[in-house]
Amino acid sequence: MTTTNKPRSSWFKREYLDAYILIAPAVLIFLFFVIYPLFRTIQVSFYDYGLTDPVMKFIGLQNYIEMTKDPVIWTALKNNVIILVGSVIVQVGMGLILAAILNRGIRYGRTIFRTIHFAPMVMSVVAVGVLWQLVYDPGVGILNKLLKLMHLGVPQQGWLGDPHLVIYSVLVVACWQYTGFMMVLLLAGMQSVPIELYEAARIDGASEIQSFLYVTIPCIRNVILAAVLITMIGAFKVFDIVYVLTRGGPANASQVLGTYIYYQAFTNNMAGYGSAIAVVLLVIAIALGIVQLRFSRGVGGRA
Amino acid sequence: MKAKISSGLLYTVLTIYSVLVALPLFWMMISSTKTVREIFATPFSLPPQPKWSNFSMVWNKGIADYMLNSLLVVSVSVTIIVVVSGLAAYAMARMRFPGRLPIYLMIMAGYAIPIHTVLVPIYIMENTFHMLDQYIGLIGPYVAFAIPFSVLLLYSFFMEFPQDLEDAAHLDGCSTFQMVTRVVLPLSMPGLSSVAIFQGVFLWNEFLLALIVISDGAKKTLPLGLTVFQGEWSTNWPNLLAAITLATLPLLLLYIVLQKQFINSLTGFSK
Repeated sequence: MTTTNKPRSSWFKREYLDAYILIAPAVLIFLFFVIYPLFRTIQVSFYDYGLTDPVMKFIGLQNYIEMTKDPVIWTALKNNVIILVGSVIVQVGMGLILAAILNRGIRYGRTIFRTIHFAPMVMSVVAVGVLWQLVYDPGVGILNKLLKLMHLGVPQQGWLGDPHLVIYSVLVVACWQYTGFMMVLLLAGMQSVPIELYEAARIDGASEIQSFLYVTIPCIRNVILAAVLITMIGAFKVFDIVYVLTRGGPANASQVLGTYIYYQAFTNNMAGYGSAIAVVLLVIAIALGIVQLRFSRGVGGRA
Repeated sequence: MKAKISSGLLYTVLTIYSVLVALPLFWMMISSTKTVREIFATPFSLPPQPKWSNFSMVWNKGIADYMLNSLLVVSVSVTIIVVVSGLAAYAMARMRFPGRLPIYLMIMAGYAIPIHTVLVPIYIMENTFHMLDQYIGLIGPYVAFAIPFSVLLLYSFFMEFPQDLEDAAHLDGCSTFQMVTRVVLPLSMPGLSSVAIFQGVFLWNEFLLALIVISDGAKKTLPLGLTVFQGEWSTNWPNLLAAITLATLPLLLLYIVLQKQFINSLTGFSK
């Protein structure tokens, strides 16, 4: 700090002390509930241990070796990747199209459309899950009813009961909830593009689509990248929606890493194995987090 | 030649998407006042006789308690988050002290850590310290996991805070602590309320940690309570729909009233 006009050493020490007092609560809570447990997770992953077991048995890398042979791990990873790819395409892609239309395509009604599109964001994922379970109901759900009404030729089915279909049904719900969020994020980026660039493009004879492709997109490249990374991280953190819709079923077909950690540690009494899966998730999350911090300057903090 | 897209087409796209978003919500709300028979027979029409009793039924069956529990946990957590992150972010942004950079980096690294990865040790720790089935067992991790995002947001807010005010406060003989609590924090309401809205919405809807910490039925938070209803009323759709409608309405109404603040806050902008 350079503002003091009395640079005596006692003043500086006083300032150090003040600073430590100010940061102490945050740092202590953070160390106790985040950093310490993190190392404990890594430690527990080397043990054969269940939460109700009296003792922990050290087994080295056995949990990790076990994982490579566990078909459900691969299903879960595959499902996380399906949600990731699907979410990036639908949420960011659709979000981009909707934002572009709201930004420059229409004259009236911007606020009302934005209000509706963003609304599912404030809902609890549990409420969303319960709602969509009823929507998807094979007997009396409104989805089957609607499809029948529209004569699209889509067979009536249990959207959550078919192991090949279930993860895509989950994906639809995630997109329903978060596309509006992505739209708003991207729209905020688009609104900071200088209007002169569009005027220049128009004078050069560019169509609206061309100015979207050659003006908007390059200008908000970093915002798009941030949106993609937020979506990717979210895809690996998915838990609530799968838990509420399917509990990972049928027959583990919709299991994701998050729900499988929970299942192994808290239902199957294999906390050691669950922790090993958690370490894998941690490595993925930190890798994506590092990429995000490097690229997303300006988004997530401030415009 | 200019490719001209008719605004009619654009409005159609926006309207179709709006209908896709709104239809399940609309169905949820109208069905919550119907009988089972009406829900199945005429899913998209308004009930001839709205059964408001569905709501009073659900209200008395526990949702009021779940909401109060959530309100308590969320308001205590958010208050602690705002104060603790505000103080820390101020120190990081405005003061120089040994260890500042390592602490900053540690907290930023925490930004990437999903709570899923520490559920087992948190359960073990809270079991040891008798924090399971206690609200402190929720509030502690809630505050801890909110710190990286909140500190980051407030840090960038304080970086732009006018230095003159602090200098004046110093000259008037304020201690650092007095200056922060009496000058800086009151003038930082936009940043602090942004953090409060973001964390408030997130925690009101938080489910995973509550699932492992709280098993006592009387202490369950709202999302946890909804899964109880999901099991109990799997065939009683009017009750189930009334429950999720009631659970959704408070935040939905707040969102409609404070739309700008909600959108800015949830997308991570401090203003």
